[in-house]
Amino acid sequence: MISKLRLFLIENAVVILFVLLIAFAIPVSGLPASFLLQEILTRLGRNTFLVIALLLPIMAGMGLNFGMVLGAMAGQIGLIFITDWGVVGLPGLLLAMIISLPISVFLGWLCGSIMNLAKGREMVTGFILAFFMNGLYMMVVLYAMGSIIPVFNPEMLLSRGYGIRNVVGLDGVRQCLDNLIPLKIAGLNIPVFSFLIIAAVSWFIVWFRKTKLGQDMRAAGQDRAVSGAAGIPVEQTRIVAIIISTVLAGIGQIIFLQNLGTINTTSSHEQIGMFSIAALLIGGASVTKASIPNVIVGVILFHLLFLVSPMAGKNLIGSGMLGEYFRQFVSYGVIALALVLYEWKRAAQEHASRATLRGGAPADGKEAAA
Amino acid sequence: MSSRSLIQRSALLFALLVLSAWLFYIGKAHTLLIDTNAVTLDGREFKSAEAITVSVDGKTPEDMGRAERILVSVSGQQHRIVIEVVSGGARKVEKRFAVPTFMDSALVSIPAILGDAAPEHWVTKFTAADREDTPAEQMQHEGDAALPTPPDAKSLPSKP
Repeated sequence: MISKLRLFLIENAVVILFVLLIAFAIPVSGLPASFLLQEILTRLGRNTFLVIALLLPIMAGMGLNFGMVLGAMAGQIGLIFITDWGVVGLPGLLLAMIISLPISVFLGWLCGSIMNLAKGREMVTGFILAFFMNGLYMMVVLYAMGSIIPVFNPEMLLSRGYGIRNVVGLDGVRQCLDNLIPLKIAGLNIPVFSFLIIAAVSWFIVWFRKTKLGQDMRAAGQDRAVSGAAGIPVEQTRIVAIIISTVLAGIGQIIFLQNLGTINTTSSHEQIGMFSIAALLIGGASVTKASIPNVIVGVILFHLLFLVSPMAGKNLIGSGMLGEYFRQFVSYGVIALALVLYEWKRAAQEHASRATLRGGAPADGKEAAA
Repeated sequence: MSSRSLIQRSALLFALLVLSAWLFYIGKAHTLLIDTNAVTLDGREFKSAEAITVSVDGKTPEDMGRAERILVSVSGQQHRIVIEVVSGGARKVEKRFAVPTFMDSALVSIPAILGDAAPEHWVTKFTAADREDTPAEQMQHEGDAALPTPPDAKSLPSKP
């Protein structure tokens, strides 16, 4: 019984920690429940799609895909083009998604191919690859657009005549998904259409897991050598997982930015990977296992903490900046905590299996961790 | 890659291109300047009524008098305009018109629509008139022109 409780606490350490933190911070912040509820509904509609994009690479054993930033860049390029061409509303958003599609596929293929060269170190490879691609993205957006790639709207260009301005307004597509099916319940605006899209992509993930390709991904994620011996094209399967993740990240970034209504050309995509991964881990996912409920719980807990921490910080020590520092601390801290917990559990498992092979009973604590 | 797979992928690519073109066509934004200034077409003068309300594509109707312009943002090519004449003999006119896809700003002439002019005169491309210099700017330019140009002005090093 005690070992079961210990196992539960270890498995859900991050979620429990965050529930306790939020339970402390909400009353301290003094924010009304209606405000928090409205913000959480909005942020669920805005961020969930991006976090769902992380699920398939985890299933394929590639860990947390920091390379999703590449998809976010593709989504932003799509939005920049439709803003320049003056295509508005739902057609504009769909066109941005179609424009982002080939870019996402190419970047996903590139990312997957590189990750295949760095098996076992996919996360750090994706992280550094995102930095590298950020440089290329900057070159395209700040140099090529307006000089090599034609930009028709001079208001979008920097005063020097080429390069996109730092902030691009998305007035033509602002919240057009969220307001497509307007619904107000008890004074709360519900982004129904965004939730429908999230439901559709969640269904796609569940369905995809049952397909041949999905089963191959799971097998490759569990054991690459055995899967390869069984005839599964492991490397190709891993590339497909990253391509789908990158494409979903591109679409997710478009959904995210249409809700905000502006693109920060040079930095909107930078934090997206970190925040999405942190949200997923807070929801109870690990480097090797993640599900749709982890996504929903994670987005709620992560953003609830985002919302209450500035006011809680202000009320506790008189500075709202504490909340801002806390955001960074939470994002990086939770990723570090999850990775440490994962490594600790893996080491405990290996120790337990070695002990079993030697014929001895595993120690109590290790057994619990296993 | 097998020929069947190649055909399938080509068809998908073609379908995406067609879809993109259609989305561009229906989503392209236009700025309409609804204009009640009198116009002369083929020697015939068309005047707007004293007071009207105008609604484009079911948007909230706007009140307009004579010689006025209002700005309406729309998307797509085909639009419906409802003009309700408030002054004089009250009547309601509902017409459909098209704005060419690549015409960003269009002038929609209410007198031409109300006077049953040929549909090609209803919508014309709007080109903003060149801005005239203010007297202060004109003086500045004159001052600049009067300044003697240094003989080696072209050889001066440019600022870093």
